[in-house]
Amino acid sequence: MGKRRLKAVTEYIGQRKPLGGLLFLLPRIFSSEYKDSAGGDDEKPGKELLWNILVELERLLIHANIRYPVYFAFEDDKIDAVLADVKRNDATGLPATATTGGYKLVVTAPEPRKLAPPTMTNIQGWLPGLKADGDSNQLPTIAIVASYDTFGAAPALSVGSDSNGSGVVALLEIARLFSLLYKNPKTRGRYNLLFGLTSGGPYNYNGTHKWLRSFDQRLRESIDYAICLNSFGSVDNELWLHVSKPPENAYIKQIFEGFHNVAEEVDLKVGLRHKKINISNPRVAWEHEQFSRLRVTAATLSELPLAPELLESTGGLFDNRHFVSEAAIFRSIKLVAESLARHIYGQQGKNVNIFADDSSLGVNPSYVQSWLDLLSRTPRVAPFLSKTDPLIMAMEKELEVHTVEVNVQHEVLDGMFTFYDLTNAKLYIYQVASVTFDLLLLLVLGSYLIILFSFLVITTRGLDDLISLFRRPPSRKVKTA
Amino acid sequence: MTMFHFFNCAILTFGPHAVYYSATPLSEYDTLGTSVKAALVYLGTALVKLVCLATFLNVSESDSFDPYQELLKALIGFIDVAGLYFALTQLTHRNISQNHKFQAVGLGWAFADSVLHRLAPLWVGARGLEFTWDYILQGLEANANLVLSISLAALGSLMWLRKNKPRTLIPIIYACAGIVSTMPSITSYLRRGLGWHFAEVVGFELFVSLVMAFFSWQLFSTCQKPSA
Repeated sequence: MGKRRLKAVTEYIGQRKPLGGLLFLLPRIFSSEYKDSAGGDDEKPGKELLWNILVELERLLIHANIRYPVYFAFEDDKIDAVLADVKRNDATGLPATATTGGYKLVVTAPEPRKLAPPTMTNIQGWLPGLKADGDSNQLPTIAIVASYDTFGAAPALSVGSDSNGSGVVALLEIARLFSLLYKNPKTRGRYNLLFGLTSGGPYNYNGTHKWLRSFDQRLRESIDYAICLNSFGSVDNELWLHVSKPPENAYIKQIFEGFHNVAEEVDLKVGLRHKKINISNPRVAWEHEQFSRLRVTAATLSELPLAPELLESTGGLFDNRHFVSEAAIFRSIKLVAESLARHIYGQQGKNVNIFADDSSLGVNPSYVQSWLDLLSRTPRVAPFLSKTDPLIMAMEKELEVHTVEVNVQHEVLDGMFTFYDLTNAKLYIYQVASVTFDLLLLLVLGSYLIILFSFLVITTRGLDDLISLFRRPPSRKVKTA
Repeated sequence: MTMFHFFNCAILTFGPHAVYYSATPLSEYDTLGTSVKAALVYLGTALVKLVCLATFLNVSESDSFDPYQELLKALIGFIDVAGLYFALTQLTHRNISQNHKFQAVGLGWAFADSVLHRLAPLWVGARGLEFTWDYILQGLEANANLVLSISLAALGSLMWLRKNKPRTLIPIIYACAGIVSTMPSITSYLRRGLGWHFAEVVGFELFVSLVMAFFSWQLFSTCQKPSA
């Protein structure tokens, strides 16, 4: 599908032409059943173009007011054959006859119903630091947060491998690495670690907001800073640290330098971006802004240079496993883990490699890959994730393995949107004959039966009888007259 | 317009029977009772055949042609012939000439066959959205079946009801009757063993039915000549 066709689609939707429905056929690589040995590291120009087109298409669909249903399906051999047939008949301009290309597409699905306001599930894991002589609550806390849910034009296809599957995977791997260090009291740091998997990301980080509001005052005050993880999966080597406090702030400087120093070693670049918060504006573009509104120092680490608009970069159609680079995720995990560790153990500026590759503390590629694969197979739009969804249970169990205390919080999403159910349906394509064909057939059959009748009358009763069938009334008239 | 298609296929399948009844002198002599009785005998034979098939035949998974199974099916097919014999000879008819008796019996037989084998698939299938040629072909097959049934009834009446037949013709009569009665086995061999498509099989059936009708007509008229 080229730019030309996207324009045609845009016009069609813009002009509000009445249609029965709109069916988009996505290339096979977007299907979760498609197994391709080439990973996301290949830079194929065709893929780039496809990616851009899909981003635009999704933006168009999300913001347009469409009065007919829009369906997404994947190309396969059978539907390709049907499509070729339809194109061929369209080109020759013949009307549909019995055997050539009259197709009827039927989607059998019940009327969509309104869903109850969605539940957001926030999962938090707590790794306590090494208590000195006092209470562990007096130890400072570092929070590492990632939102795990997605949003897209087609909820059943919104797997969000990059936004924010990569963030979730990074958080789990960092939790695993630090749990290894914190197991042994000799290597336990003097910071508590709070890991948070939040929901409600696409909706102005509503889940994070409610999670923070539920915090104990003391806990909130003990948070030194929070790092929010958001999208590391693209191949570029540049990451951005987004902050709300001005960059001149000493603390922000310290955090940024910590990241910057490690970045050079990991072959990445980290830049600093400052975005002021406007309290009156309900739009929350980054997760750290929810922390900042409650006076907690926070920053978001992301590959996105600019703040996304509402419902943008929320893991839609185009955000597929095949476009995600695992190497980029490994590097980012190493970056965050190393920076955090140096801060916790007071090793800033020293030439130390805590999470060295191939060591027992190295980033585990198969762990990252298997979680990324799982997340890329599971659509995670919040209204369709129940409280006991297998994925949520799995993430909770995983955090239970790595952390000491796990809490699950259920909140209701504020009523910004109304959701309707029905994310999956079956499409039936029938080859049908036109009405003219039926009429023609009736004509043929009628004449066949009449001929048969005449033939039988002639052979068994004689030709005179046949003629007499038509001449009976006049002969009677003659008689009476 | 799928009810339309159902209507079309229905008149193709069942129309000829009605036309045959009204066009020939059968309607004048009111042989409807005979036809109805023949239809009931057909139902009885179908039931017996079903029971025999269920008892003696083992269901094979593949759709290939198994000679032993097909032989067994052909033998069971002869129950058909027995049923026809019963209908022709044993049922008490009013005083109808032999000429009309076999026609009425054949008609009733073919009508019952069509209704039993073709009405249900037609009702369920032809009303659907998807268009296939199958039901039209099935209708043509019903037509061929009508001709074949009437020919078989004619040959049967020659074999069992007519006592004075010219000696030379007897083997031919039996040969023709044999061919007509084994038609089901032949068609299933063509479809499974040789892999013909449904359309080709129906064409073959139509051709054979016309040929057999011609032969039986000739045989019937030559047998009638000495007594006339």
